[in-house]
Amino acid sequence: MHPTSTARLPAPARAGRSHLEEHAIRALWLACALVAVLAVGFILAFLVVYGLPAFAEIGVLEVLLGDSWSPTATPPAFGILPLAVGTLLVTLGAMLFAVPLSVATAIYLGELAPPRVRNLVRPAIELLAGIPSVVFGFFGLIVLVEWLRVSFAVPSGESVLAGSLLLGVMTLPTIISVSEDAISSVPREFREGSLALGATRWQTIRRVVVPSALPGVTAAIILGMGRAIGETMAVMMVTGNAAVIPSPITDVLSPVRTLTGTLGIEMGEVAIGSLHYHALFAVATVLLVITLAVNLGASAILRRLNASATGRGSPSRLAAVLGRPRAGMAVPVLAAVLAAAVAHSVGGLLPALAVFAAGLLLLAAVPRLSRNQAEKAAFLLLYLAVAAVVAILAIILLDIVSKGLPALSWEFLTGSPRDLGRAGGIFPAIVGTLCLVAGAIALALPLGVGAAIHLAEYRRENRLTRLIRSGVDLLNGTPSIVFGLFGFTFFVLYLEFGVSMLAGQVTLGLMVLPTIIRTTEEALRQVPQGLREGSLALGATQWQTVRRVVLPPAAPGILTGTILSVGRAAGETAPILFTAAVFSQRHLPSSLLDPVMALPYHLFVLATNVPGAQQNTYGTALVLILLVGAVYAVTIAVRARYRAAGGAPG
Amino acid sequence: MTGTPAPGTIIETRGLDLWYGPCQALKEITILIPANRVTALIGPSGCGKSTLLRCFNRMNDLVPDCRVAGLALYHGADINAPGYDVVELRKRVGMVFQKPNPFPKSIYENVAYGPRIHGERDRATLDAVVERSLRSAALWDEVEDRLQEPALGLSGGQQQRLCIARTLAVEPDVILMDEPCSALDPIATAKIENLIDDLKKRYTVIIVTHNMQQAARVSEFTGFMYLGELVEYGETLQVFERPAERLTENYITGRFG
Amino acid sequence: MQSHRSTLFLPGLAAVVIGALLVAGCTGTGETATPAPTGPPGGPAGRLSVTGSTTVLPVAQALAERYMDLNSGADIQVSGGGSSVGIAAVGEKTAEIGMASRGLKDAETAKYAALEPVAIARDGIAVIVHPSNAVAHLTLDQVREIYAGNVTNWKDVGGQDRQIVAIGRDSASGTREFFTEKVMGTTSTTATMLEKNSNGAIQSSVAPNPGAIGYVGLGYLDATVRAVPLQVDGTAVEPSIETVADGRYPVARELYFVTSGGATGLAQEFIAFALSGEGQQIVEKEGFIPVAA
Repeated sequence: MHPTSTARLPAPARAGRSHLEEHAIRALWLACALVAVLAVGFILAFLVVYGLPAFAEIGVLEVLLGDSWSPTATPPAFGILPLAVGTLLVTLGAMLFAVPLSVATAIYLGELAPPRVRNLVRPAIELLAGIPSVVFGFFGLIVLVEWLRVSFAVPSGESVLAGSLLLGVMTLPTIISVSEDAISSVPREFREGSLALGATRWQTIRRVVVPSALPGVTAAIILGMGRAIGETMAVMMVTGNAAVIPSPITDVLSPVRTLTGTLGIEMGEVAIGSLHYHALFAVATVLLVITLAVNLGASAILRRLNASATGRGSPSRLAAVLGRPRAGMAVPVLAAVLAAAVAHSVGGLLPALAVFAAGLLLLAAVPRLSRNQAEKAAFLLLYLAVAAVVAILAIILLDIVSKGLPALSWEFLTGSPRDLGRAGGIFPAIVGTLCLVAGAIALALPLGVGAAIHLAEYRRENRLTRLIRSGVDLLNGTPSIVFGLFGFTFFVLYLEFGVSMLAGQVTLGLMVLPTIIRTTEEALRQVPQGLREGSLALGATQWQTVRRVVLPPAAPGILTGTILSVGRAAGETAPILFTAAVFSQRHLPSSLLDPVMALPYHLFVLATNVPGAQQNTYGTALVLILLVGAVYAVTIAVRARYRAAGGAPG
Repeated sequence: MTGTPAPGTIIETRGLDLWYGPCQALKEITILIPANRVTALIGPSGCGKSTLLRCFNRMNDLVPDCRVAGLALYHGADINAPGYDVVELRKRVGMVFQKPNPFPKSIYENVAYGPRIHGERDRATLDAVVERSLRSAALWDEVEDRLQEPALGLSGGQQQRLCIARTLAVEPDVILMDEPCSALDPIATAKIENLIDDLKKRYTVIIVTHNMQQAARVSEFTGFMYLGELVEYGETLQVFERPAERLTENYITGRFG
Repeated sequence: MQSHRSTLFLPGLAAVVIGALLVAGCTGTGETATPAPTGPPGGPAGRLSVTGSTTVLPVAQALAERYMDLNSGADIQVSGGGSSVGIAAVGEKTAEIGMASRGLKDAETAKYAALEPVAIARDGIAVIVHPSNAVAHLTLDQVREIYAGNVTNWKDVGGQDRQIVAIGRDSASGTREFFTEKVMGTTSTTATMLEKNSNGAIQSSVAPNPGAIGYVGLGYLDATVRAVPLQVDGTAVEPSIETVADGRYPVARELYFVTSGGATGLAQEFIAFALSGEGQQIVEKEGFIPVAA
């Protein structure tokens, strides 16, 4: 008995054209992904090649460990150590300030906040992430530095402390958002399991929720740290830029200069081709190596944490240490010692002893508290942290809005600047910013989505994929000032674009590329595998599956990533500082090779270069915040809509 | 130990081995699947029955680190041969998954998806295919007046029948079913089982199930798998009433599983 | 619900991309966005890019604004960045005129042989302090000692008992270089000096800080800071246009427009305008000292 079906359908043969098309499309995505790697390789090579003469002429050790940076002295000194120390001090300070506040806020938002509060606070904090760094710098320069000078009765408020506080505030939103995601994604069963055993909410949070979320929280902290290390504009505006190593090292009121600040402040003035010029590339190389080290260290820690959490792989020593109750005490003791040291260098012996004693008392008191008292105390601290975060946000926004509003007028929004921006408007800057962003997105979106499709859909885990992924990670960790430096030397000078819109667009496009790749890849991965299998099982080709089944539900996620990139590109100053921006322009640019005005650059120049323009400076800051804020508001709304619909990821 | 069932063979494996990384999930599987019959694969969790099923349309390609050795033939052609058109294979060998996985599109678009990707553009033809497929899947009467509504609004049983309709719309000659009822309630299960009974007139059906009663009810041939091996394979009646292997008997009588 | 949204969103995404491209295209339509620059027949027209020193920026900007008022066909874009950016831009032909607050360096003339600087103004560098600072005057030696970090309290130079906060320009700037040359000599600047990337930044940092001392071009003097007279041969000299012009004020320099291979066309016209009577009036109004006078 032979069935007829065998005769009816011959076995499928090789297919011709559609296969060719599939291969072409696959190659296209691979090419997109390779662009990221090439870009990174290129930037790295550029920095190293341009930095080499400095290392060769001065000596590697002299550059890395020299304790004096004084390029115009006779003889000039090019020691990067004080700059690196400055960067590390400011970053460390920012973390000490930001980590407790943001983790506490994340715990509050994830575990304690009533839904209504959460829905209000969370977008507000994400909005804080959208405030461009130059606005923070401006605020820091006008308000924070002055406040520090008066309240600590020091000669100048431009200091490690100012930089740390400002950077801390700037990293708050990143750490809060990512930690909160990690905390919220701890399965409810864990909490229920703990509560069902009679644990208090605080015990559950401390012993179950936070440990489970630890990898995510760690990632958040490292992400914030990366941001802090790479930040240029705000730091440059408030740290005083004196290339000294504070003495003692805990003197938080000493001015310092960071690696990024050095690039931002000196790149524009240095004679191109001089030893000083090459030394700046050496600085950029060191900066990139530090960020790279942080990122690599981070992924190593995360791998271990993840491995120990899932029980796979060798048990992590770190997690073991963190899990040990006695070691848990080490952190607060260390914090108390550190606080005492800082108090000592700022205020002398007495405050130092007082701080240390207070810390010890607190530590001694904690174990004596009953469960309920402990919970109350812990929650009180959480509430205080949240209140502090909200207050910081409110102060910054109120200051800028209240002083910026009077500047806003029809003429301000539609006119050209006059009298060095003290009078007239900022219309060309608004248009310029829009053009820069549009160009950057038009470049980065297709490339980024293509690369993400390659990584998420066509990946074969091999050496190339790993290379691409590290390329994206590295590009993501590259400080924006390094993009600016690269853009200036490569696009502006080498390719002879000149200071032009095009150079700025390409530089910004490179900068936002990793954001788009990551968010798109994330969105693609959230599409259930079942949908892909369902489509493939119907005989759809891979590309048909991706295009018709995977991309549509991932679209909101991709859109979110795109909008975030728009916000970031609109607010960045460092990459356009030397590549695209002009201070003043009466007519709009008429070709891609014309320079443009841009809001963040305009704000930077007004704030630092033009005395007596405070009202227009506040006005520009407000317009910039409104623009970026609007972009973020759209993102948040889009996501909320999709979350509410229980629909596609975003 | 594996017999050749009477009717013409449509799918066949010879000494098929499969590894997930270092773990061997299938060992020396040799099986002949008869055309236009319902064949059931049973066995405890992790025995490899779903893995074997996914070999028939090369769905395991999607699993990283998955390696296959030995022969798997469809209409006598080696489907793992280089250059073999896997897309065409999957078009002919359809699959229904354990968890209903309708696309986040309308009911109509879910069914029309297959014909569309295979180049059908004519609206009238598509309409006809959609109606015919939904009728064959016994879903038409329930969704006739809401074809444009999202498929995710359907109940689990309806979603699964929609997935079957979606599969039928590309006119396969084999339908692989991977525990299609495990996520469904008894009433929805009964509907799917009735459907399978209809389908076997026109299609070859291979169903993986952990539910022995279901295998007994719907299938004509049954293979029992254990730890990656095909322990026993034969006519359903024989396997359930006079198992040749002690292991099969123990499983069927509920001594383990 | 979901399927409708999803189907809406791919076109949505496409719309974003297309929108982006359209806005990118705004460069092409830029001239319709504002009235196209149309000059009187025969008048100078076109685009001119002027970039470089932040010290020269205010006067160049003022000159450009006036010039564009007179010649509506001209479009002059002035940007900062620093003397070196300006010189490199002209050398690389990405700008027509570079602004420099210092002469050309050997490295620069070696790289770009055709560079030609034209002095368009003179500038005095004023030493500024907080308005409340009572110090009557300083000698150049005192200024040097302050910036060398050897004098750290105002009482040592005749002021109140208050710690001095020295604020200066970044090490690469033309102003800093000039200050080093005229005031510091071979003495190196203290590492604790706060560094600012522009004259304006120094001025706004000195303005609120009672202990601060800084130095800026004359153009940046206003009521928020006090310029300290410098003592030369026993007499205190206020920094002002007169004292710089007649050579009594000791810290003065020239400011340059740099072109490559000689200015032509609009650049030539613009430089001529800067050196004209009206141009030099603007120079003076911006707080600099005319050169043609």
